[in-house]
Amino acid sequence: MSRCDFKIVLLGSEHVGKTSLVIRFVNCRFNSGTPYQNTIGAAFCAKQMQSHDREFNVGIWDTAGSERYEAMTRMYYRGAHAAIICYDPASLASWTRLRHWLQELRTVEEDCKVYLCGTKKDLLDTGTVQREVPEDIIATYSQGLHGHFLTSSKTGENVDELFQKIVDDCVKDLKVMKIVEEARVQLQKEDNEKNKNYCYC
Amino acid sequence: MASTSKDHVAENEEALNEKVATDLEPGACLESILNPTDSFEEFASEISTSLEDRKTSLTIKSSTISEIQNEIGDSSKESSLRETKSSDNLQAKNESMSASASNSNLLEENEEESDEKDDYLQSPELVNKEKHVFILSSAGKPIYSRYGNEDKLAGLCGVIQALVSVVEEPNQDILRSINTKDCKAVFLVKGPLILVTVSKSNESETQLVLQLTYAFNQIVSVLTLTQLNRIFEQRRNYDLRRLLSGAERLIDHLFIFMEKDPAFLLGAVRCLPLPEKARENITQAITSTCNKIRDLVFAIMIAGNQLITLVRMKKYTLHPSDIHLLFNLVRSSESFKTAESWTPICLPKFDATGFLHGHVSYISEDCQACLLLLTVQRDAFFPLSQAKHTIAEKLRRSNCLVAINDALNRNKELPTTNPLKHIGIPEIRHFMYKCKSTAQLFTSDPISLDRLQDYRLRHKEGGDITVKKIEKLSDIDYVRNYRQFCNQIHCISTPAKLIFRSNSHDTVLAWVTNGFELYVTFDPLMEKDHAIRAVDRLLHWIKKEEQRIFIMNAPTF
Repeated sequence: MSRCDFKIVLLGSEHVGKTSLVIRFVNCRFNSGTPYQNTIGAAFCAKQMQSHDREFNVGIWDTAGSERYEAMTRMYYRGAHAAIICYDPASLASWTRLRHWLQELRTVEEDCKVYLCGTKKDLLDTGTVQREVPEDIIATYSQGLHGHFLTSSKTGENVDELFQKIVDDCVKDLKVMKIVEEARVQLQKEDNEKNKNYCYC
Repeated sequence: MASTSKDHVAENEEALNEKVATDLEPGACLESILNPTDSFEEFASEISTSLEDRKTSLTIKSSTISEIQNEIGDSSKESSLRETKSSDNLQAKNESMSASASNSNLLEENEEESDEKDDYLQSPELVNKEKHVFILSSAGKPIYSRYGNEDKLAGLCGVIQALVSVVEEPNQDILRSINTKDCKAVFLVKGPLILVTVSKSNESETQLVLQLTYAFNQIVSVLTLTQLNRIFEQRRNYDLRRLLSGAERLIDHLFIFMEKDPAFLLGAVRCLPLPEKARENITQAITSTCNKIRDLVFAIMIAGNQLITLVRMKKYTLHPSDIHLLFNLVRSSESFKTAESWTPICLPKFDATGFLHGHVSYISEDCQACLLLLTVQRDAFFPLSQAKHTIAEKLRRSNCLVAINDALNRNKELPTTNPLKHIGIPEIRHFMYKCKSTAQLFTSDPISLDRLQDYRLRHKEGGDITVKKIEKLSDIDYVRNYRQFCNQIHCISTPAKLIFRSNSHDTVLAWVTNGFELYVTFDPLMEKDHAIRAVDRLLHWIKKEEQRIFIMNAPTF
């Protein structure tokens, strides 16, 4: 059973910082001490969020970027309300991979809202790394999409904004909300039945 | 130096046997959660294989996973997703032709850049290491090197591939090892991979082959054997590193783990010592929560490389080496700590052809026990996630988390924290005991969490040979010392049953019966009969505490 109202999936090549983004968003921290470790399979997190004065439970799937898990990634974006495709502005390779995900989503999950997310903004700002992906190309690509954010999981810049925008967009989408409401009613019913089964005696 | 005496005298053994033959050996029980196959038997089969056998040995007979899926009646859903295994021989004749061709290419390349390569082989990253491990494809492409950068080792890999094929091609023979004065090079060809270790440690050839087999199984665990074979059937020249990216870490850790933990030496699993009642409650919490989940195959709770409990689907058991791979996976992955993971895991002994799907998560922030729920159903994440939260809640309410933490933090009041003090035989410095029928292990000084943490921090660095005076021996040092005895006991041609060796440093007694293996280190110059009396008391203590230090039942869902 899933008590999540919205399902968000993170995609992108390995080492762009998908897990760091999720940890920053869910746990509000960044471990600069721990060395890079690839995600194995996928990880799931949930967080309560507010939008339009209502509470929503958001489930986030953080997928593995490694090539060997590619065949499995499909099952994570099936039925997703939103997808965040991450890339590292300092890595052209990660941008090239991004186009692959875009294509996949367009064919497999047409209704999924797609957001682009450039990561490691702090490194760009301090000049530690050089931008490899030109901004005008990003602008062209993000036109048909729901948004583009340049984030830093280290400082937290734009991270909450990204997720807030996604939830706001979902709430505004009547089609999505209809399904969410129905699911909530269904859950309520199930809960009531469950309680009936072993209470009041 | 004092005199060294080695003894296999029958009368001693009889005296020992009489004392314990009266009842079941400590730790034995009627049904085991673990498949007690000896990994040394496996080595025997590895050694006895001819070239022909080797080509066919990795073809897969039947798949346990699809068997389970058939049983629970939804095979149709999954079977289309599972890869099928072609039963072709791994190497057809014409392919071996191309092997030698590509090999000569590599050698040529090597000549061109030989100056640079030679320099690299002398670089501090590579010299003076106790044990090197190289993994390459049968076409000679580097896949993994324990130290240094495998990219720069193409030349060396070419040489290794040439050595292997030179012995194979004209003579139809197998290159197993090369021994020099201070160094052993051991070769293992498995499927499309060549694994080599070059070691200056005191491990025997058998032990080194076993370690290479583990490394191979680690790769299979990440990819499945089906995928591994298929990749190289399609493209002999494939660069496997693309698919293994991130898994090098697992192999790195596996070798450190194998060098330190006697569990590998003995092919057994270490259990977290817990009060009988606590373990029962934990098992109960899992079975009562999960008995309705039909496709759950194993529920495994582990902490600090020790098994807390294992609940299984009827008929299926796990092999210790599969559990070791799970230990290794959990220990080397930080990401499990931050979120619930949904991870494909192939357990090579259980079923090398397919993935199980694992819900992996730590029980709670304040308890470092990790729960793995392994299923054949790829979209069962949410029911399992729900089950995990229910289990965690039950454990908290029944105070099991406290019991686990006490054991992990080695609470001084527990008899198992410092067994030697508790037993009260001052002459015994260290012991390790394996119950053969259940493949479980207990040692007097289990590696503590801190020390495990410590070995995890060392990554690619370290592993250098150092000559330093050791002040106080640790578990690791004693285990290193037992290697040679273990090797004599498991020697295929002339296995020893009882070894008693005494010198000015220490006295070691190694003893194997049908039921157990026991290794004890005493003070130096110990008398034989004195040692036997001490061992007798030790076995009684283990028997008395067996419910606490071993898992004595084999629960199912």
